[in-house]
Amino acid sequence: MNSKSKVPCIPIEGSISWADWLKGRRARRESSKLVAPGVIRRKTSSSDRRLKKLFNGERGLPFTPTGKL
Amino acid sequence: METKKIRDALADITAEQDPTLKSAKLASLCSALWLEHGVELVVVGGSAIEILTEGAYASGDLDMCHATGAMLPMTQRKEIMGLLDAKGGPRNWQIAGMYLDLLGPVESFARTPYRRVAAPYGNLLVLQPEDLLVERVLCSFYLGESKTARDCAKVLASVALRKEIEMNWDEVRRLANLPEYRNLPQCVQLVKEVADELKIKSPLHPD
Repeated sequence: MNSKSKVPCIPIEGSISWADWLKGRRARRESSKLVAPGVIRRKTSSSDRRLKKLFNGERGLPFTPTGKL
Repeated sequence: METKKIRDALADITAEQDPTLKSAKLASLCSALWLEHGVELVVVGGSAIEILTEGAYASGDLDMCHATGAMLPMTQRKEIMGLLDAKGGPRNWQIAGMYLDLLGPVESFARTPYRRVAAPYGNLLVLQPEDLLVERVLCSFYLGESKTARDCAKVLASVALRKEIEMNWDEVRRLANLPEYRNLPQCVQLVKEVADELKIKSPLHPD
């Protein structure tokens, strides 16, 4: 078994356990960042007013760095 | 759900500083509470994409829809969300340091099941990635080019091509041919572009 096959997959049928979903977070982030690097959160939306009020001028909490997932 | 369990869950979610965990846990708690009243909720939009991809896309609002036909009356919604010290309503609430928007009945054309995460406070349903992918590809060009929508489609394709989420590619093809989307060429092109970047064969590309 190679290291890649150890990443838990979110299946079509049934459910993924919370532990497996957590375990797959870093791999999913890495796959995402291969094709869309950085934060791709929208810069603006109709919810800006309430979001920026709640999150100190940002549109949400900062994302956890990949290394800490 | 017992009051103490709700209180403990709420404290956990309020303290959570990882936006994706916070969102998933809140969706889990709300889903469990609503299900006790016969209504199944499903995570949609950017929050769904985030739970499936970790793509660093979602903002601080969680979008959910009801998957069951019936919706709860406003008084009952107020009662349930009151258990969570939610402010606002009857469709938008501020809870545990984020926002929850309940958008109405879910719009999904996919025949595959909702994806399911056995989250800490109850099962969490997520809109099918097949539908999310085809919809984001549509959003990436139909009102002019949107790089954000295109990036979302690319992260979904990448995570699926690397088999970290199971995607039914036949269903993607069927959805993209529906009158609601009619964007198969664009889907084929985007998935091929991502597959080429990853040096993987595209499952949508004809041999």
